[in-house]
Amino acid sequence: MSIEQLKERLFAEGENTGFTDLELYYEKKESLTIGLYEGEVDKYDFSDVQGASVRGLYNGKTGYAYTEKFDEDSVSFLLKNAVENAELIENEPEELFTGKAEYEEIEFYSPELDAVKPEEMIQFLQEVEKKILAYDPRVKKVTTSQMQNQKSEKGLFHDKGLELKEANNFLLFYVSILVQENDELKSGFVFRITKDFNELDADTIVKEVVEQGVSMLGERNYPNKKYPVVLKNEAAASLLSTFTSSFSAQAVQDSRSRLQGKLGEKIAAEHVNLIDNPFLPTGIQSATFDSEGVPTRKLNIVEEGHLQTYFHNLKTAKKDGVETTGHAHRGSYRGSVEVSPSNFYIEPANQTVEQLYAEIEEGIIITDLAGLHSGADPISGDFSLAADGYYVKDGKVVGPTKQMTVAGNFFEMLQDIEEIGSDLIFSPMSFNGYIGSPSLKIKGLAITID
Amino acid sequence: MLNKALIEDVLQAALETGGDFSEVFVEDRYTNHMVLQNSRLEKNLSGRDFGVGIRVFHGLQSVYAYTNDFSREGLLKAARTAAKAIQGKMDGETTVIPLIKESISTLHPIQIMPHEAAKSRKLAVMRNANDIIRNYDPEIVQAIINLIDEEQNVLIANSEGKFVEDQRVRSRMSMVSIASNGADMQTGFYGPGAYQGFEFIENLDLDHYAKESARIAKTMLHADPAPSGKFPVVIDNEFGGVIFHEACGHSLEASSVAKNASVFANKLGEKVASDLVTYIDDGTLENEWGSINIDDEGEKSRKNVLIEDGILKGYMIDKLNGRRMEMESTGSSRRQSYRFAPTSRMTNTYIAPGKSTPEEIIADTEYGIYAKYMGGGSVNPGTGDFNFAVNEAYVVKNGKIDRPIRGATLIGNGAKTILDIDRVGNNLGHGAGMCGASSGSLPVNVGQPMVRVSEITVGGKEA
Repeated sequence: MSIEQLKERLFAEGENTGFTDLELYYEKKESLTIGLYEGEVDKYDFSDVQGASVRGLYNGKTGYAYTEKFDEDSVSFLLKNAVENAELIENEPEELFTGKAEYEEIEFYSPELDAVKPEEMIQFLQEVEKKILAYDPRVKKVTTSQMQNQKSEKGLFHDKGLELKEANNFLLFYVSILVQENDELKSGFVFRITKDFNELDADTIVKEVVEQGVSMLGERNYPNKKYPVVLKNEAAASLLSTFTSSFSAQAVQDSRSRLQGKLGEKIAAEHVNLIDNPFLPTGIQSATFDSEGVPTRKLNIVEEGHLQTYFHNLKTAKKDGVETTGHAHRGSYRGSVEVSPSNFYIEPANQTVEQLYAEIEEGIIITDLAGLHSGADPISGDFSLAADGYYVKDGKVVGPTKQMTVAGNFFEMLQDIEEIGSDLIFSPMSFNGYIGSPSLKIKGLAITID
Repeated sequence: MLNKALIEDVLQAALETGGDFSEVFVEDRYTNHMVLQNSRLEKNLSGRDFGVGIRVFHGLQSVYAYTNDFSREGLLKAARTAAKAIQGKMDGETTVIPLIKESISTLHPIQIMPHEAAKSRKLAVMRNANDIIRNYDPEIVQAIINLIDEEQNVLIANSEGKFVEDQRVRSRMSMVSIASNGADMQTGFYGPGAYQGFEFIENLDLDHYAKESARIAKTMLHADPAPSGKFPVVIDNEFGGVIFHEACGHSLEASSVAKNASVFANKLGEKVASDLVTYIDDGTLENEWGSINIDDEGEKSRKNVLIEDGILKGYMIDKLNGRRMEMESTGSSRRQSYRFAPTSRMTNTYIAPGKSTPEEIIADTEYGIYAKYMGGGSVNPGTGDFNFAVNEAYVVKNGKIDRPIRGATLIGNGAKTILDIDRVGNNLGHGAGMCGASSGSLPVNVGQPMVRVSEITVGGKEA
């Protein structure tokens, strides 16, 4: 049974079941993932999957149910579950968006990616692996080397007539290596997300990953104390992604955000701007409508350090008496409508990374953070995280430190951003929007070195 | 879920290009997810996951295809797509051995299936937990109660004639407490789970779990920042086992051993841990959260002794990595769902109990850190470097538990830390968790008695 057939039967039967409003949300995904290990194809996964979720108003309450099985019985399964779930729910009903609206006309889908052949992907992975192993004798092995070509489609049908759908696709590449000198073992990794296979350049990737790995060899201990810190772009982006939920009106209304009551106030250093742009051509979260069907738009969330707005969906906006910002989000058809940024980032300035640490007498550069899901409290903003990086003396990189922890508070850190780099990058690992940052110079963070 | 003749055709189609083994995994799963927050039911979700995964081997080469299209044409298309990717030389033809249904008797009896218990009964238990937390102390400002239960029906068949079905039933309730004094917020967490139905939720000792969640939040609100440096660390039982799960357990999975990516590769029979350490993975523990009857390749689960008195005895092995290592499967192949090819994973992993009492271990520690409840963490699989948050920690001074501390993160290296265990207690306990790796997120138990590590680096805000 197709999604259109499911929709028609659902809407026909839904009226008889007592629903006053019904919506069907669906996602389709197709992907090919190829992984290489020691020159041989080690992973080769195809997928072709879909799922759909009904959301409806029943006796003035919102009920949800989803299925991945599309057959004759699915309609009654969905309606029965949605009724049961609506009967017990206790929060305010969710408004379904039926309004006429103008949507931005942008095509995010890149047909060129459909033409990428599995053989080309394998060949590229093999080329990268071979060149990595030849680049430096200290490379011990390539631990993971993977490429994924994925396309997805999302759509929304409403029984009052709204019909929306949008497709997107990406090529993801990831490689990680182990380097060794004497007994010291270090790792390095590089990822790329692109819409153009030809943009991937093996030599650039090889140089980047190997130089990153070997630069971590020769680790040394340095005194534990509060240092000025340069957070490299990837580390800064992953830290921002951990605390992004604080900007959600949902979190604010639930008293789970330190930004409660801070609208219009200065929450970051004067020169910090935070932008949400749903129209970035290469943004993973790019879309012209949100999960409720509301048109999206580009917004300044923080302007010159001042908080302009929270992220809203229809429900949180109604509660605050404001317009939705078009940030309704569903993690998948399994979940309910939440709030999430689209492509959300700290606006880059014009300093190179070298300039960021050029004035530092004694400090630390952090290249990578680990343990973000456990060592950071998204509510209080406190974090204590494992980190890799270098020691800096008189504006020069001295060498890598042993494994560190870096501790501080995110909200205090926003105020302590002294300088901003030009090297905006997005963190690939985020479930809560696609989050980016350039490198940042921070006044001081507590560093403990193993 | 699918008829035998169709499965045989799919298995055969997957072998058309020279594959030597094919497998079909069918999954039909019903999940409920309820969230009580702000003292009301704010989320009430349910649904059905359904799909089929087809795997083909050619020697050490493996291809996986998965789909929700369960029509004959859809399944044959997926099988042929997988077959096409096998760049197999036709070096002999493999024929599917006729499927014979194997029946299994469950090790984990269920009393009340999740769908048999009305959601209002589930909600009543959640409300009870909510009330206990909110009444614990005026500084408790929020309680978030999550209840998840599921019935996962699986069918596993392969070209060697295997045909087996199983039903896995799991229930879990997690309780988050938030304490605040206006300026500051701290959270407490407890999340018990089991391979059981609604009887597990109904019989939960909320007076213990809900209160502990609230007590942790309140205690941490009044805790000092953790000190930094190297200290002896006493890690308590149950979820404390998460460190060795991450830092050692993953390195004992064939997925890293077979590729020589593990510090434990090629070390069978050698000393790899403190003499006090015996480390076991056992999926047969009755009704435990990480338990299974059969793994996701249809092999019976069993008790696997990994380390005995500090000597490496075995690994957790799946079929494909078993080929690479020339070793037999240990019933350890698992996957989150049909969307993942299975690989070797943990079930219920634990350090066996020793002889010291918890009181003796604390009394014997002059100055150190006592980690009463561990949080999550991660490990770099290549280097073994780990980091873990401690949810509730104390300073130990002159053999006594002193003031509470917060924001402590433990960092170190797994292979070294397991050698540095110098006390093992007699109070074995298991804790429920979700473990993420290449075959997805899986329910696992981590467990241990109280242990002491002679030195771990603690990173706190007080540098």
